[in-house]
Amino acid sequence: MIRNYFKIGWRNLKRNQSYAFINIFGLSLGIACSIVIFCFVSFQLSFDTFHQNKDRIFRIVTEWHDDEAGYSQAVPSPLGKAFRTEYPLAEQTARVINYNDALVTIKRNDNDYQKFKEETGFTYAEPGYFNIFDYPLIKGNKTNFLSEPNSAAITEKLAHKYFGDADPMGKTIRINNKTDFIIKGVLKDIPENTERQEQIYVSYQNLKDQAPWLANDSSWGGVYSGSQCYLLLKNKADAPKVNQALTQLVKKNFKGRDQNVWVFRTQELADIHFNTLFDGSSDKKYLWAISLIGLFLVVTACVNFINLATAQALNRSKEVGIRKVLGSLPKQLFWQFIAETALITLFAVVLAIGLAYLLMPYVNSLFKTQIKLHLFTNLPLLSFLILIGVLVTFLSGSYPGLVLARFQPVLALKSKLSQKHIGGFSLRRVLVVTQFAISQLLIIGTIVIASQMHYAHNTDLGFNKQAIITLPIPQKDKTKKTTLQSRLSTIAGISNISLCYQAPAANSNNSTNIRYDNRAEDEHWGINMKAADANFLTTFGIKLVAGRNYFASDTTREVLVNETFVKKLNLKSPEEVIGKKIFTNGDKKGVPITGVVKDFYTYSFHNEIPAICIFPDNDNYTKCAVKIEAGNMQATMKSIEKIWNETYPDFLYEYQFLDESIAKFYELDMTILELIQGFAAIAILIGSLGLYGLVSFMAVRKTKEIGVRKVLGAGIGNILWLFGKEFTRLLLIAFLIAAPVAWWAMSHYLEDYKTRISLQPWIFLLAIACTFLIAALSVGYRSLRAAMANPVKSLRTE
Amino acid sequence: MIRLEKIYKWHNTGNNRVFILKDINLTIQEGEFVSIMGPSGSGKTTLLNIIGMLDEPSEGRYDFMEQDVYRIREKQRSDLYKQNIGFVFQAYHLIDELTVYENIETPLLYQNIKTSERQAIVADMLDRFNIVGKKDLFPVQLSGGQQQLVGIARALVAKPRLLLADEPTGNLNSKQGEEIMEIFRKINREDGVTIIQVTHSEKNAAYGQRIIHLLDGRIEK
Repeated sequence: MIRNYFKIGWRNLKRNQSYAFINIFGLSLGIACSIVIFCFVSFQLSFDTFHQNKDRIFRIVTEWHDDEAGYSQAVPSPLGKAFRTEYPLAEQTARVINYNDALVTIKRNDNDYQKFKEETGFTYAEPGYFNIFDYPLIKGNKTNFLSEPNSAAITEKLAHKYFGDADPMGKTIRINNKTDFIIKGVLKDIPENTERQEQIYVSYQNLKDQAPWLANDSSWGGVYSGSQCYLLLKNKADAPKVNQALTQLVKKNFKGRDQNVWVFRTQELADIHFNTLFDGSSDKKYLWAISLIGLFLVVTACVNFINLATAQALNRSKEVGIRKVLGSLPKQLFWQFIAETALITLFAVVLAIGLAYLLMPYVNSLFKTQIKLHLFTNLPLLSFLILIGVLVTFLSGSYPGLVLARFQPVLALKSKLSQKHIGGFSLRRVLVVTQFAISQLLIIGTIVIASQMHYAHNTDLGFNKQAIITLPIPQKDKTKKTTLQSRLSTIAGISNISLCYQAPAANSNNSTNIRYDNRAEDEHWGINMKAADANFLTTFGIKLVAGRNYFASDTTREVLVNETFVKKLNLKSPEEVIGKKIFTNGDKKGVPITGVVKDFYTYSFHNEIPAICIFPDNDNYTKCAVKIEAGNMQATMKSIEKIWNETYPDFLYEYQFLDESIAKFYELDMTILELIQGFAAIAILIGSLGLYGLVSFMAVRKTKEIGVRKVLGAGIGNILWLFGKEFTRLLLIAFLIAAPVAWWAMSHYLEDYKTRISLQPWIFLLAIACTFLIAALSVGYRSLRAAMANPVKSLRTE
Repeated sequence: MIRLEKIYKWHNTGNNRVFILKDINLTIQEGEFVSIMGPSGSGKTTLLNIIGMLDEPSEGRYDFMEQDVYRIREKQRSDLYKQNIGFVFQAYHLIDELTVYENIETPLLYQNIKTSERQAIVADMLDRFNIVGKKDLFPVQLSGGQQQLVGIARALVAKPRLLLADEPTGNLNSKQGEEIMEIFRKINREDGVTIIQVTHSEKNAAYGQRIIHLLDGRIEK
């Protein structure tokens, strides 16, 4: 019986190839997206779940409860030690301090050094770290490999990169041209689904070589973002006790107002990946949105199926009639159609798996992940596929099945079935409206995000970002900085050079407390400190609104502030602050303000412009910004590289275009944009297939009406309007549903931007115009064919 | 075998009641070969469909093999139908997507007969109607006469005791028609299958032992 069902299903597919194609292709697109989304979401949810003690692992984070709340994933470096010695609440406490961008040097021969740049940097870790987390060692002893100074552990991958097939144990690596480390352990490669991607761990006892201030047990006053502290609690329920202990530590180590501002608290391991207040790289909000879109796409594809299958029902009515005459029960007919749907779904799932394999690399490059599709070893994925197969089969097969099984055999045999027996044209309308609404929602989303991105890339940031490259200054050596600057200035193609801590907008910013003039206490907001030489303003085209630039100097004698600074002090005009002193970071002497600059952005549009202080301080310069003149770029770049390499022969040369690094601030937004574009395209494609199916159905249904109308003298235009009228109405209803939802969702999205576009009517008009165009294209051909059909023919068949 | 009592069938059109069948009282014994005749619209097919349980009257009682068809449960009626009634149509009504073999096999599938048994029965049928060579062809590849042969084979494959035929020769030429009628007579005489056929042709009607004339939904006495 089942075999018979599948056989006839197969023959039906072969007979109605276009119908089969629309169904299978549409379904497989929807399913492929859901597979990819499933893999992506389950990958995100798997972050740091492989640690054996994952429920007992916590991180200590910092919050500042002042006028503006502040959050950091990092803690003052002495905190971990103080907690460990004073409170026996944790089984393990480990401090880790990470530095990005490590330069690793390996000595090959006497004067032959090989240099490697490691973006994930290197980490000073206390030995307990590897008892908290499950990053297994394949060589070396877990309990003692980091307990001696100058010992290091690297991953298998790096070991192979540095030493090939030779045994890395006991070999020496030099980090940042400062400290030599001996490899005492080799780590198994770090899995993709963990927040801690460091590949090089070194003994915590060497921290004093790199950062004496951090290594000091009394450095409570500041937080370096790479300084973290992890706990393995004896009992998960101890977290509140730990928080109490941390409050006591604040009381003990901070004075005055700071006692109320500083808060340390525990953060569960499971929260780390998703909490964007701290350094979470994923956002559950977006995961939900993506899952919802995946569901939408599957539903859209099912909607098509139902639409097309019920539209086909008339053609199948004779067969249904005969089968009933031959003794089939309605139940059996129902199952026959379910079997047919199952067959189509099976094809679709197989095709979808193929499509998912094709899509996955694209998704991986978009999210910079390495998610792999292992169909048969991935049990959740396999069960997901089976679940979705069954779900789709019943979702899309049961309605047509029920309709067909209900047919009266006598009527079916005489082809006397009409629309009212198939019924549910209104249901089909509802379904098409749903599809339209989903497409429009995604189209509006695309337009809004795209225009916000366009706005971000083209709005005046308050400084010039074109044709500026930044070079690193790897050493504090003052003479070398001067040499680099003076030698670069001899290159013809360079118009300006500025030594500075960072470009005006950068993802590395320093904030500190500030006291103004003779006010009694510090302001309740922080000030962004930008060290830069006197060329900073001209190089980046930053405008002065009051006063003058400071004179060239290696130390801080004068400073500049921005307009926001003046506003935050509640002063009326920028002129008022000229000549007044400010005291930053607990400084007692104070420095006078010589000028006020026009506001410029220090990070992306997601952030507000903070109060800024620009000051000269040679020790703080880590970047050299070079403004290049148009023309002969290549030669200029070459000369720059040559000079830099001669100045810093021990380091690796690299440069960045400022506009490119600024574009990187919007990486996540661009990812979302690309994603939503892709989804919109797929939703539209599936929707168009469905529309085509529906209009085919209408064309068949209206054959007689069209014939009669033509005989009565209707032109092609009149006939086309028969179809157009219907779809225009559905489209408008869909728009009425989609527009408010889209407005709500997109205003929420835009709230993440402190500087943003407003939701203008044209966005919605453009979306509806797009849908109109798409709808016209997908229904056009079929309705034109119906309109051009010879009425004599269509009337005779009635 | 069949007893119809006061069967009425009507449609409501606006305020008017249009009668298709009026006060039909009819008894047919097992083994009879009955022809129903009458002009177009006299209700022949409706009567046949009611006998064949494809249609229901608006009023009246129908006993089939001593069972009140409208009192028994749906499932019982379906079984009664499947095991005892075969249908032959003017337009053959073969399933286009199935081969000759599969068309004949279908009624057996609905009676849950085992594969091996099914194969034997269908093979026997093919043999009996001389269409073994055509078993893998699809309906469109056959002539009208051949299609009707398949239709009859399919109607008989489940060994029904009642064969209902709605103008079985209507789409055939006279020679093919005669062949079909001969087959009917043979089935009736040799296997004892009760046959009720609707026909326009006096000649075909004469194959039956009894002729019922219908006019405007009434049996003419």
